[in-house]
Amino acid sequence: MSQRIYITGLGMISAIGNNVPESLVSLSNSKTGIGKINYLTTRYKDDFLAGEIKLANKELADLVNDHDPKLNRNSYIAMLAAKEAVKHAGIDTADGLRTGVISSTTVAGMGKTELYYKELFEKDEHLDVLDTHDCGDSTERIADFLGNVDYVTTISTACSSAANAIMLGCRMIKNGLLDRAVVGGVDALSKFTFNGFNTLMILDKEWCKPFDENRKGLNLGEGAAFLVIEGEEALKQRNGKALAEIVGYANTNDAYHQTASSPEGYGAKLAIEQALTMSGLKPEDIDYINMHGTGTPNNDLSEGTATKAVFGDALPKFSSTKAFTGHTLAASASIEAVISVLSMQHSMIFPNLNFTTPIEGLGMVPETTLVHMPVNTVLSNSFGFGGNCSSLIFKKV
Amino acid sequence: MDALIEKLKGQIIEQLNLVELKPEEINPDSPLFGEGLGLDSIDALELIVLLEKHYGIKIEDPKDGKTIFQSLRTMAEYIKSQGKG
Amino acid sequence: MKAYINGTGCISSQDTINDQWFFDVIAEPAGDYFNAIEPSYKEYIAPNLLRRMGRAIKMGVATANLAINQAGIKNVDAIITGTGLGCFEDSERFLLAMLNNDEQFLTPTSFIQSTHNTVGSQIALIMKCHDYNFTYVHRGFSFESTVQDSLMLFSEGKETVLVGGIEEHTPNYVILNRRAHKFKTYDPTVPFWKSTTKGIQMSEGAAFFVLNKHKTGKSLASIDGIQTLYKPKSAESILQKLGAFLKLHHLSLSDIDVCLMGFTSDVEFDNYLATLLPEIEKESVAAHFKHLSGEYHTSSAFALWTATKLIEKQRLPDALAISDKRPDSIKHVLIINQYLGINYSFTLVSQC
Repeated sequence: MSQRIYITGLGMISAIGNNVPESLVSLSNSKTGIGKINYLTTRYKDDFLAGEIKLANKELADLVNDHDPKLNRNSYIAMLAAKEAVKHAGIDTADGLRTGVISSTTVAGMGKTELYYKELFEKDEHLDVLDTHDCGDSTERIADFLGNVDYVTTISTACSSAANAIMLGCRMIKNGLLDRAVVGGVDALSKFTFNGFNTLMILDKEWCKPFDENRKGLNLGEGAAFLVIEGEEALKQRNGKALAEIVGYANTNDAYHQTASSPEGYGAKLAIEQALTMSGLKPEDIDYINMHGTGTPNNDLSEGTATKAVFGDALPKFSSTKAFTGHTLAASASIEAVISVLSMQHSMIFPNLNFTTPIEGLGMVPETTLVHMPVNTVLSNSFGFGGNCSSLIFKKV
Repeated sequence: MDALIEKLKGQIIEQLNLVELKPEEINPDSPLFGEGLGLDSIDALELIVLLEKHYGIKIEDPKDGKTIFQSLRTMAEYIKSQGKG
Repeated sequence: MKAYINGTGCISSQDTINDQWFFDVIAEPAGDYFNAIEPSYKEYIAPNLLRRMGRAIKMGVATANLAINQAGIKNVDAIITGTGLGCFEDSERFLLAMLNNDEQFLTPTSFIQSTHNTVGSQIALIMKCHDYNFTYVHRGFSFESTVQDSLMLFSEGKETVLVGGIEEHTPNYVILNRRAHKFKTYDPTVPFWKSTTKGIQMSEGAAFFVLNKHKTGKSLASIDGIQTLYKPKSAESILQKLGAFLKLHHLSLSDIDVCLMGFTSDVEFDNYLATLLPEIEKESVAAHFKHLSGEYHTSSAFALWTATKLIEKQRLPDALAISDKRPDSIKHVLIINQYLGINYSFTLVSQC
């Protein structure tokens, strides 16, 4: 039951690159992927910025080499990121080990449904969006190209979704139900989501400023990221190579409000503490925190307060990388898991862009330039609507 | 002003789906948030939409809602001050 | 790891909200779909919360309330919900408003309520539960994933977990699925397992369960194990996996008193189950439930509620039976479900 869990493969596509190597180049050059909206059709196109993947759907279809007309943007990017992770890990699902696919999403097929919903009542041409609207579709696409999959499921807990998918994968391996899993999340941009966040008045029209006193809100982004995680026995059996270890995780609930976080960040504090307890690490053992840091007035104050309460004087270097990618919702935790592993592999702490003034009363200053230093442990936080709080802790191997 | 307040009562009941509430039960000077009607931050956003939809008034910063939505009367006064209603 | 069912609550197309109901008076679908028989929610939910809730949330919170009251508890260590479509009514409301008003005058409430984990988070808010809170959204595995997760949580030290499956449809959703030929009118003269045509009867509902790690005086039944199969290649492979699953619990098919099967009347989706039926009938007593519950992503939650009732009452009602065969007693119920002929699951429910 106490088997160790290793990350053996990474795959990622977002505004900062179509794969992991491209993403690393952007991160280490402080090059944001957020900019003017090019691909999403919305009346607010010129009013807001977003972190779009720099490929149209047709180009994504070509890249993934699947022109099934039922596919949607969510599925394309999920498949691309999952394929990259699996190739990176070098696993063969026909080798007799039990493989799971655990994905997560909030947008699912809405990006395509919203294009055709009204015409479905009169025309038949796009009625198949009914088959691909739900959250399970992109997960099953991944399972289908992998083959020989023993367990498939999808999670949707808003912005903590992918962290929970990673967590579930770890737990299933530790409970002896799987030997390894492809875990992560995906969310493509959609008009629905864009307008939803706009009605909540938490979008910034300029570049978001995580943890800055003058922050106004978030920039939405889109992306997908998957990890291949394996139990130590399976890894040994197939002679695989570990990139990092997952040593701690926790999921808690703020139970304060449907969308806002409690001022003291109660759920967040609990999640961080429980993840630390599980890892056996003390706060001072953490080298870097990849914060949820969306840039909203509420999240950053709440998360900052919670983090300070846990770390006190031992606050490590921290940054939010959402000013690079935008807030990719369900995918954010897995994108940030990839970023955390890259941080450890390349001994870099990626900067918190657009920061100038610390939040009054908190006095927390993130890293604003690229830092070169050994990074052995990373805490990654993801806090979602519905008070869903998740923390993951990674360790260098 | 009274006519606007009466109109607002009906609009608020509809926008916030306060199905159990009758217009005569709303005191125009009672707080809308916290005690009184006990509305919350999501309702505040709904009221911002109400102002735009029915009165063409756009509030850019949700923080402005704190003063505008203190009570039904302050809401009506704000609408009047914008030359609407 | 087992789980003990200490409380249940169910809203469905049958009168399951009525705790006296036991498959006597049967509601038939309105042609090709069922509507849920819903209670007055004021009994279960405070008005200031009720005003914001779509039907899925109301059904979920009400049935969770029932389960918690029956279990006689105030707190749980985890809340896990499963839903295939989520709060579709709110999703659709926001979507249509966005499309009809060209992205203007949109209200945040429907957007917030449309997120899939709204039911789970609403329950957490009401119970002030700061613990583990997951929502599974994988088609015909949505509810099974909640049960699977709860069994792991018990291994990891949790004591009490609230799990539930929720689904709602809307008039538009019914219209569109009808246009896509997904449904067909219910025909009581053609047994589901003998159907030769495509189409199901769509439905909706919610069922919640309080699961306990340890047996107590309130325990109604136990969930001994659960397994999901994704796209099995043949009926034979399902039977093989079924044998292995039961063997883990030191059982074989002949030890199962009732096999509750997920026939939908769609000839394609039901294909493997129809092939397995003679073997099931030979070794056990076959029964089915979707002619009563209708079909939706989380209809297996209705099946679990049914299995619990069968064990409680120790009788297989005629309304569920597939043949004249009846069990002498009901110690073990095996739910064999399928969704779209793609998501298969076995759930072993036993007397405790």
